[in-house]
Amino acid sequence: MTEDTSKTISRRFLLKIMSGGIAGLGFTQLNSAWAQISGQAVQLLPSLTGPNRNPYWNSTGPFVVYPQKLPLIQITDRPVQLETPRHYFLTPFTPNAAFFVRWHLDKIPNAINLSEWRLFVEGNVERPLILSLNDLMKKFKQVSVTAVNQCSGNSRSRFQPHIPGGQWGNGAMGNATMKGVRLKDVLDAARIKSGSLQVQCEGLDRGRGPKDKGSYRYQKSLYLNDPILHEVVIAYEMNGAPLPILNGFPVRLVVPGKFATYWIKALTWIRIITEPDTNFWMTKAYCIPDTPHGNTTPEDMERKQIKQIPIGTMPVRSFLITPDGSDMIPLAMPLTLQGIAFSGHGQIVKVEFSDDNGITWHQAKLGKNYGRYSFRTWKAAWIPKHTGKYTLTVRATDEKGNTQADEGIWNPGGYLWNKIERQEVVIGVSE
Amino acid sequence: MKMAKIRCILISLFVIMPGKTPLAQNELPGLTQSGQYQQGILGSISQPGPIRYSPDTIYLVGTYPLNTPELIRGEGLEITQTYCRFCHSTTYISMQPQLSASAWHTIVDKMIHTHGAPIPEEEAKQIIAYLQAQYAQKDHK
Repeated sequence: MTEDTSKTISRRFLLKIMSGGIAGLGFTQLNSAWAQISGQAVQLLPSLTGPNRNPYWNSTGPFVVYPQKLPLIQITDRPVQLETPRHYFLTPFTPNAAFFVRWHLDKIPNAINLSEWRLFVEGNVERPLILSLNDLMKKFKQVSVTAVNQCSGNSRSRFQPHIPGGQWGNGAMGNATMKGVRLKDVLDAARIKSGSLQVQCEGLDRGRGPKDKGSYRYQKSLYLNDPILHEVVIAYEMNGAPLPILNGFPVRLVVPGKFATYWIKALTWIRIITEPDTNFWMTKAYCIPDTPHGNTTPEDMERKQIKQIPIGTMPVRSFLITPDGSDMIPLAMPLTLQGIAFSGHGQIVKVEFSDDNGITWHQAKLGKNYGRYSFRTWKAAWIPKHTGKYTLTVRATDEKGNTQADEGIWNPGGYLWNKIERQEVVIGVSE
Repeated sequence: MKMAKIRCILISLFVIMPGKTPLAQNELPGLTQSGQYQQGILGSISQPGPIRYSPDTIYLVGTYPLNTPELIRGEGLEITQTYCRFCHSTTYISMQPQLSASAWHTIVDKMIHTHGAPIPEEEAKQIIAYLQAQYAQKDHK
């Protein structure tokens, strides 16, 4: 039986090649595969070359395949930056194999020898530590936290005027349960000396620039008196599995509620320092205007009157994941609108949707609560009442009362985007 | 001639550096291999196979595929490729939205002064001119 089937398939394959040509076959196959996994375009999206903002949910790059990964959307290939396609956000946990990837430097690990790899705790401490992965798993209390990891530049392709940098759509985010040990427990074991100010973290990635520049190493620091420090985890497990190498194997820092810039991958050095960290990645990159919502204008930036501070906590956001506008919906068909919401400032307490472009709002039903740093899924029943276009919008509110505005923001880094999302859907006749 | 020579040196550096870099044991502990890329065909890498146990405990994923779109042809293309792809693929150029001419100037300046890219003044001018001609908003020049 099996043999027969394979013969038929190969004969069909041959016929297809003969009739359509090899190139033709390859293209058709790719297109149908994209349609299946993305539920979006069946044709190549035009690249983002015009002056307008990216109108798509995701960025416009092609799907690419990487080790330990499902096909993801390419932002760049060296260093590697990959975006998660929209439909993976239907579930509260983002699969490891679909989790977005963002490295800053091009010499990233391809292979790690765990018998040589160690986590170093050094600097202004009484007892410097050198820990193996096994030490971390055995000598400290195991903890876990479910937290959203979102790139500071998520949705940068929405900014107007355009901002140089990774032209992310909305898929530079993901949610995972991260298991490991508390940073605090490790620091307590090393005994921080008095006069300490910050904890600096660094991974195994390296660039080709001069040693004293940000183009050589990536380092991020947190203040020791930042309340989040009690919740920071050194994670060796992601959604119940080892971390993919592209997401930071063997261990990565997890800073719940804060942007991914602080979540150091392949974490290898934890350094207690006594002066503020002034390296490029702290004082030049990942800085936002010290204004409400990090909002400013190109003109004000040019006047150099705007004070810049390191980016921190993620503002509240919500997304409609389905329907995604890629298929026509039959009139009067009862549908379920589905999506996610999150906030770095605390629990999501309300998600509302609108089918009239934000004039009237209806409350959605929230899904299971996996903790205040997690994605919260939401659902709402909806029946389209007329044919033609609908503009669906969604907004969330967190426990601190933060909600999403309908005005875009602008800042020179292209950070903190959280404008209310819109999705156009098309309703067709059903009789 | 002099420029061609510099170009040759830079290209050979680029070719050599992604090769297996011997890493001092204490400098980057446990890092057995890094920065390994291979020209790929879009959407195509080898299927995963079963990993074999080895006592040397190396956890490896192989090389990462490169899918670098060709840059727009024009004066200065070669010099741009030669210098820019030393640290990153030129996908960093082609993925940008249309920027203003002055934005491209700022970016090249940043690469030289902030990131330490060793681009001589004359070459920097040519790179900026190429980027402005091919990748800038026409009405912003």
